[in-house]
Order: sequence, then C-alpha cells, then structure tokens
Amino acid sequence: MSEHLPQTNYLDPEVLQRLGGLELVAREIVEGLRVGTHRSPLRGFSTEFAHHRQYVPGDAIRTIDWRVYGRTDRYYTKLYEAETNFDCYILIDASSSMNYASGKVSKLEYAKYLAASLAYLVLRQRDSVGLSIFDSEVRAYLPPRSSMGIIMEIDRLLRDVKPTPRTSIAKQLHDIALMIKRRSLVVLISDLFSDVDDILAGLDHLRFNGHDVVVLHTLDTHELEFPFKGAWCFEGLEEEEPLTTQAERIREEYLTNFNEYMEALRAGCVSSQIDYTTVNTALPLDDVLSEFVVKRQAMLNGGRG
Amino acid sequence: MTFLNPLLLLAGLGVALPILAHLLNRYRVQHTPWAAMQFLNRSVRVRSRQLRLRDLLLLLLRCSAVLLLALALSRPATNDSDGSWLPGERRAGVVIALDASFSMQHSDGQSTRFERALEQIDVISARIHTGDPVTLVLLGGEHRVVIRNMAYESEKFHDILQKQRVSAESLDLDSVPKRLHELAEDMIAHQKEIYIVSDIQSHDWQPRSERLRETLQELDGAASVFLVPVSGSEDNLAVTDLSLVSGTLRKGTVARYRATVRNYGTNPVSDVEVQCRVDGVQIDSKRISLVHPGASETVSLFVPFHNAGATRITAEVTGDSLPTDNVRRVVAVVRDRVSVLCVDGSSGDAGRLIISALLARNEGAEDKDYIVRSVPWLAFPGEDLEYVDVVVMANVPEITPVQAQQLSRFVRKGNGLVWFAGDQVKIAEWNKRSESANEADGAVATPLLPAVIEQVVDNSDAIGAGKPLDPNMPDHLLCRPLQSLPADLLSETRFVKHLKVQPAATSVTVLNVAGSESPILIEHSLGRGHVVMFTTSADATWNNMALTPVFPMLMQQVVTYLVGREFEQPRVVGDSLSLSYTEQPNASDAVFDTPSKNTIDVPVREYRSQYVAMLENAQEAGFYVARVSVQAPGVPIAVNVDTRESDVACLPETELRTVFDDTGITIVTTETELLSAIEAERTGQSSWRFFMLLGLTFLIAESLFADRLLSKQLSRSQSTESTEVRQDV
Repeated sequence: MSEHLPQTNYLDPEVLQRLGGLELVAREIVEGLRVGTHRSPLRGFSTEFAHHRQYVPGDAIRTIDWRVYGRTDRYYTKLYEAETNFDCYILIDASSSMNYASGKVSKLEYAKYLAASLAYLVLRQRDSVGLSIFDSEVRAYLPPRSSMGIIMEIDRLLRDVKPTPRTSIAKQLHDIALMIKRRSLVVLISDLFSDVDDILAGLDHLRFNGHDVVVLHTLDTHELEFPFKGAWCFEGLEEEEPLTTQAERIREEYLTNFNEYMEALRAGCVSSQIDYTTVNTALPLDDVLSEFVVKRQAMLNGGRG
Repeated sequence: MTFLNPLLLLAGLGVALPILAHLLNRYRVQHTPWAAMQFLNRSVRVRSRQLRLRDLLLLLLRCSAVLLLALALSRPATNDSDGSWLPGERRAGVVIALDASFSMQHSDGQSTRFERALEQIDVISARIHTGDPVTLVLLGGEHRVVIRNMAYESEKFHDILQKQRVSAESLDLDSVPKRLHELAEDMIAHQKEIYIVSDIQSHDWQPRSERLRETLQELDGAASVFLVPVSGSEDNLAVTDLSLVSGTLRKGTVARYRATVRNYGTNPVSDVEVQCRVDGVQIDSKRISLVHPGASETVSLFVPFHNAGATRITAEVTGDSLPTDNVRRVVAVVRDRVSVLCVDGSSGDAGRLIISALLARNEGAEDKDYIVRSVPWLAFPGEDLEYVDVVVMANVPEITPVQAQQLSRFVRKGNGLVWFAGDQVKIAEWNKRSESANEADGAVATPLLPAVIEQVVDNSDAIGAGKPLDPNMPDHLLCRPLQSLPADLLSETRFVKHLKVQPAATSVTVLNVAGSESPILIEHSLGRGHVVMFTTSADATWNNMALTPVFPMLMQQVVTYLVGREFEQPRVVGDSLSLSYTEQPNASDAVFDTPSKNTIDVPVREYRSQYVAMLENAQEAGFYVARVSVQAPGVPIAVNVDTRESDVACLPETELRTVFDDTGITIVTTETELLSAIEAERTGQSSWRFFMLLGLTFLIAESLFADRLLSKQLSRSQSTESTEVRQDV
C-alpha cells in the first residue's frame, strides 16, 4: 500500500494488505462500460483523467489514448473520474440483535471492521464513501466524501456505536432511501432479523431509487448452525420474552425456519437485483471481503456477452 | 436377610454414578442472549421447576434401579422367621448321600432297600428347583461323587440316578460326615440341605452313635441335615468263610475246605444248602439243618483236584434276601507235583520224622507227584533246587553266605523255607547269614529268617515236662488243622526247650508256648515265598511234637501253605490286588480283568528289588484275573465282600430319634414326613428374581418416563398453539 494507513480502531493492516488491489465496483459503472454508453448520469461532473482501460468494441474512438497506442501498439481507453466515481453508502445495523457473539467478536464488531475495510477500499479507488448507523432510527450519518480523512470520522462513529433495541429495519431503510439523493452504491450490513417482506420492501425502495444495493447479511455461526444441547434459556436481545427450552428438541425446526427465511431473503434480493451475501462472523474478514468483491466482479462481468 | 454374593453389594456403589451425573449436569439451565428469537419454537417450553422435579424423579428411578439390581446380583435371601414380606422362591442347594453299600441290596420280597431309597430321592428331587445346585454321592467304602454342583434339571438328574447300582463295598461310616461337609462347603447356595438316605445299620451306627451325633450336628451348621432311613427286615444268611483246612493242593488229591454260614437275622433258618463249585461246576453240597439267629455253622467241603493249575472254588447258599454275601470264593493253585527237600543237620532223626510227617503213609507207598527227600546238611551245596518247592532246614549248624543268598533267591521266587532249631544250630552264624542274605542283591535288607535268634530257653519244670502250646491261636492257615483237635490232645504236645527270638517287623506269630509270648512257630513272606521258622527242634530232643498228631498235621499244612501263591489268598472288596515279578517284565503294564469283564491296565513299578503291579481298591466281588501282559495267561484272584456289612439289622427308629434328639437333624421315614420336613426346614427365600424384575422395571420406567414426559409437553404445546392460530383466524 502506497498510502499511509491512518491509526484507526477498525482497520487491520494485514486484512487490507491481503485485499490487495481489489476494487469495489458499482453495478451501473460496469453496465455502462459493458454496453459502451459510458455516460455518466452526472453531467458536468469533473472529467479529470483517472486511468486507462483496455479498449473494448463500443468504446468511443475519441477516448482512445493514441500515445499509449504508439508506445504499446495496443488500444487503451482513457477513463475519467466522472465515469468511474460513485458514492458508496455503508449502512450499519446497530440494533441489539447485532450485539450477539458466540465467540469473542460480536456481529456488530465484525460489522464495524467490515464497514471500515469497505470504506477504505472505496476511498482507495478514489470513490466516495459515507456511513449511516441505525437502530430504531438513524443514529449517525456521514455524507459521502472521497478524501481519506473521512476514514477517521468513520472510525470515530463506529467506535461510539452502542447497540440499542430496534423496532423495524424496514422503516430505517425507507428513511435512508429518502436521504440519499444521488444514485449510489448502498451496502447494508445487518443481521436482518425482521419480517422478510418488510426488509425486501425497504431494499426495493432503495433499488427503485436507482441505487445499487449490496446486502451483507451478517450472522453469527451459532445462529447459522444452532449447536446448542441441553436446556437453555434464550434471552432475546431485542427485548423479546426469554424462552427456556430443550435445545435439541427445537433445533431441527429452528434450522428449517431459519433457512426458509434466508432463502426468502436471498430470492427476494436476487429478483430485485440486489447483491446478497451471507457473512459468517466466524470467518476471517479478509476472506469474506475478497470473496465478496471477487464474486461481485465476476457476477457483474458475467453479463458480458 | 442374607446374601449369597455379599461382595456384589458393592455394585450398589454404582448408584453414585447417576447422582454424580445429576450433580454434574444438574439441571441448571444455561442462559444465552439470543438474536434470532423469531425462529425458536416457543411451544417447546420447559419451566425450571418442572425440569427440577422431572430430573429428581428420574434420578430417583435410576438410583432405585441401580440399587435393586445390585441387590439382585448379591442373591439375597430371607428367612420366614424374619417375618419377611418379600416374595421369593424357596430354593436350596441339595446334597444327596445315597448309601450304596451292599446291604442296600437286601430285599423284603417286593423291593430292595436301594429301590426304596431311590423312591425317597424322587420325593426329594421333586422339591428341587431347576437351576439349583445338586450333588449326588454314593456312600460305600469309597464315597463316589456322581454329580457335583450340577444345575438341577429333572430329566437329566433322573437319568443319572436310574443308572446307579449297589456296590459290593461295605460302608465306611466314619468318613461320611467329613465328606459331606466338604461337598456342602463346595456348594454355593444360600440354603443347603443334606439328605443321607441309608438303611442305618445297627452295627455301623450304634457303636458310633455319640461320635455321629457330634459330627452330624457340626454338619448341621453348614446345611440342614435330613436322615432318611430305608430299613428292612433283618433276615440274612451269609457265607462268611471258605478256607482250606487240610490237604495238599496237588493234582490227584482231595483237599478239605471249611465253609462257614452265619445267620445274621433274628429268625432261625433251617435246611440251608451249601453248594461247592469248582470252576463253576458243583462238586459237593452239604446241608445245615438249622442255623440259629446270630450263630454260625460250618460244613466241610471236599474238593478233588483232577487238574493242575489255578482253580476257582466257591461255596454258596441260595434263596436268601441278600444275594451279595451268599457266596464265598477262594483260589487254589493245584500243582502237578510237590517236592520237599529236607536238609538234616542232626544225626538223621529230624529228616526221618519230617519225611514221616509229610508223607504220612505206610512205609513203601510211593507217590511220584509228591517227593520228600532228606539229605545231610553237608551235602546241601550239591543239591539242585530247581525242581524243589520246599526246603526244610532241620538243626543245621550254619550255612555259607552263598548258601544264604541261594536260599533267599529260592524263597523270593515263590518257594518255601522251613527252619527248625536244634542243638547244632549256631545262633550267631545264623543271625549273621539271615541278615546278610539279601545284601548282595542290593535289596532292602529283609532278613532270611522271620526272627533274630537270641538264646535257648529251658521250659522244663520240676518233673522235666515242658510247656504246651497256647490253645489261643490266630486264624491262620497253619493253625486251622490244630483248631479241630481236642484240647487235651493239643496239650499233649510239650516243649522242653525252644529258642527265644526277637520277631522281625514283617513276621507273623502263628503258635506260642502256653503261658508266654514266646513263639514256637513264626513266619514271614519273603518276595513271593514264605519262610516258616520253628523255634523248636524237629526231632524229639526239644519236644515231643513228632510223637503227637500235631506234627504231621502241622507239617502238611506248612507245605500246603508254602507251595501256595499269594494270589490264592482271597481278598476283600476294597483291598488292593498285586501281581509281583522277580524280574523286570517286558510289558510296562499288567492287566486286571474284573468280574464284570472290564479290563484295567496297571503300571508295573519297582519296589524293594521286586516289580509289582498293584490294582488299588478292588470294587467288585468275584474272581479278578491278573495278567503280566494282555497276551499272557492270567491268574485268578478271589475277592469277597466284607461280611461285617452282612449284619443288615437296622437301628430302630426310636433309638435313632433318641440319638439325634435336640441336634437339629431331621429324621424322616415316610414320604409325607419328608415333604413336611422339607417345607419346614426350607425357610429361606431367594428374592433375587423379585429384585431383578423390580430393578429392570424401574429402568424401563425411567426411559419411558424420560421420553414420554417431553413428548407429552410437546404435543400439549402444539395443540395449544394450533388452538391459538384458529382463534387468530
């Protein structure tokens, strides 16, 4: 890494190093590049040269960098910031349910690291990143900026987050959809423990507004596997009534219900062209991030004919 | 309560396991914060208090099951006297001692005592539970254990029982309590019972009543003892003796045998026929007009010997309640010829008197099969003893060491030596030669003579008369002819001088001087032969024996005795039978054929420079045949029953009860009494099955309860939920 990494709570240099030159790309940019329209929806925006890209049929001839051709005998297209720059909003669910941890790291902590790493990734590729933290309402909001200095603010905000009970995630999504004016990449980091339809409605609202939505469904490994045996008293983090039960007796049904719910969410996201990824907080962060980014790139490039 | 396997009570410590498990996994409900509450089935809800109660109940069931199973494994038993309410089975280990001595073969006309004993055992066995240990021992001379701690199975037991037979042995009652005690100790059962089924003969039980009372009372400590008498009538005739009285066992001669018949019963028996058979053929028969109760009568049986060889002779009465003792057997080895060599150390008188006494016929009569010669003692070295059966040394001063060894070998081969004292005898020399006679052969030093000579004793009184024979004689073959002599005739024989001797350990004193313990006639066996020693002279210098009928009777009997073989002496059931060899035989085993036609191989062992094959404990009465090898011809050995057992009178029941009064021993005579006694004595109850069933029930209840409780909760909650759903709709 050429940039000096600021001293933060939630940026792990090793993780970032492992991420290497990965880029988080917005769907529209890729689609724009694919069809060759290459039109930025934001006219009059800065046309500062960003970098080259190999020429593909459909690119405007005027964008070919002839000097590079002269040097390399290959066609390269110049890309400008206006074509590649996007705003990335990272939404973090800071409700009480995110505070669950079967191990040392809670979902919320994991989400913070995830958000910080993502933010850094976006900033490194000179895109803008903003942050919104919500529970029963939006607790914190940082508008997107492209300077690296925002990372400190993001870090501060993340540090100060305290989980509180939440009523409905859908409402927050709707509120956030109203707040974001410009088409952006919206990354939602949440456990999504709410009504599936409500959640999908909220996400659809964001899609309807033209945003590229990524859902990082953050779950603890115990929530995914339910390994409990014996008698357990499950105390709801969102102030639900506790349940004392025989864990083995309810495991099968729990897994059935849980998987149905996840499948419903996934199906809903796919149908709305929302990028859905399950994040297991037991897995290393860099693996999760790199797998997510690579898969996303592959998924987005996969449409190329 | 008692326990058969008390150590297994330690298994009860296993109750610590469920308690430990309960404590370790005590139903403290684990708590966890949880985010995904919406996915949990709230119908499966268990309250802590409910969990505690259920868990305690399960713990109780588990602990109870472990304790009950441990109790069952330890095989508990209770007594009725404990007032126990516990259900159980009256089980016991049973030792059945069945008297199989030959008196049990006594019949009352309808059945034998043994058959009635088997009936009583049927009653006993009907009260034995399948699986209980049972031991069956046949009592006799040796007590044979037929079944030892067998898990009782009715059919199998009865099969074995029906195969048992009465033996020819007499009962060794002294060893019975100890044997039964061993068998009872060896048995594992919480309650044990010993049944002694016997005819309880007076001659056995009465003289031992006090000792039996003590020993059986001790036995009662190990087990409940039941005496089951199977008595019968006392009538019994037995042939108690058949023995050679006189005559030489030579082909062409006739020997006189004496058969004795005794009436053991309480009623006189008249017109008793005694049949004599030789090799199975009846050759003589005598009748006894009347045999009084408790009395014996003898008859003389004259047995002609037409052929040489071993001859089986029996005397038998018939038509008696107990056939086993109705026959008496002897074996006679009839010789082709007998040769006697007299070595005369006197002036010739001794030789002549001996020849006269042996031949006992008018001068001039010759018998080519019975040769009696006399030679001067100095001519002895030149004599070939190969064809001589008996050597008589009469007043011989001394012999050389070589001659002593020669005589020793001669006798050990199975021949006979007769030694007479006299004035010429050099005492010290004879003692020396007698001692050293066997040394050269390296054998254990059995002396040649049956006694060490000490000094001459003068028996003459003031008028010069010597002392007579002691009329009290042992029942020895040598004495038998003299026993029939009138007392005054016997007392005419006087001994003026005799040698005082120190009898050897192996010797038997046959005749004594009256009024003293000085032997006149003493004998011992040396190898397969015998040496007969007269401590007086053969001539008339020391006595007047030769002038009385005593001398010829004695001399002929001596020769008959000396030419006989060891196996001619009848044995009694239980005795050992032996076959001895002077040289090492080719075969390593001798063979004995039993009266029941079985064959028994017996190894030949070296013993005191001889080779002996010994069959221990002859169990059958009859003629055994001993062979040096399978192919060799055999020699018969007569084995008779011990007629002490022939006194079949049973101890009266009242007396029996008196003897064993207050001992705890139960005496039962009838089937009804037996059943009641068993019922009364078998107070212990084995409850292990009850505890085992209870323990298993608790285990099953625990697993069913554990499953069912939660299933019930689940179904109850599910029905509640569906009711709520319907209400919502």
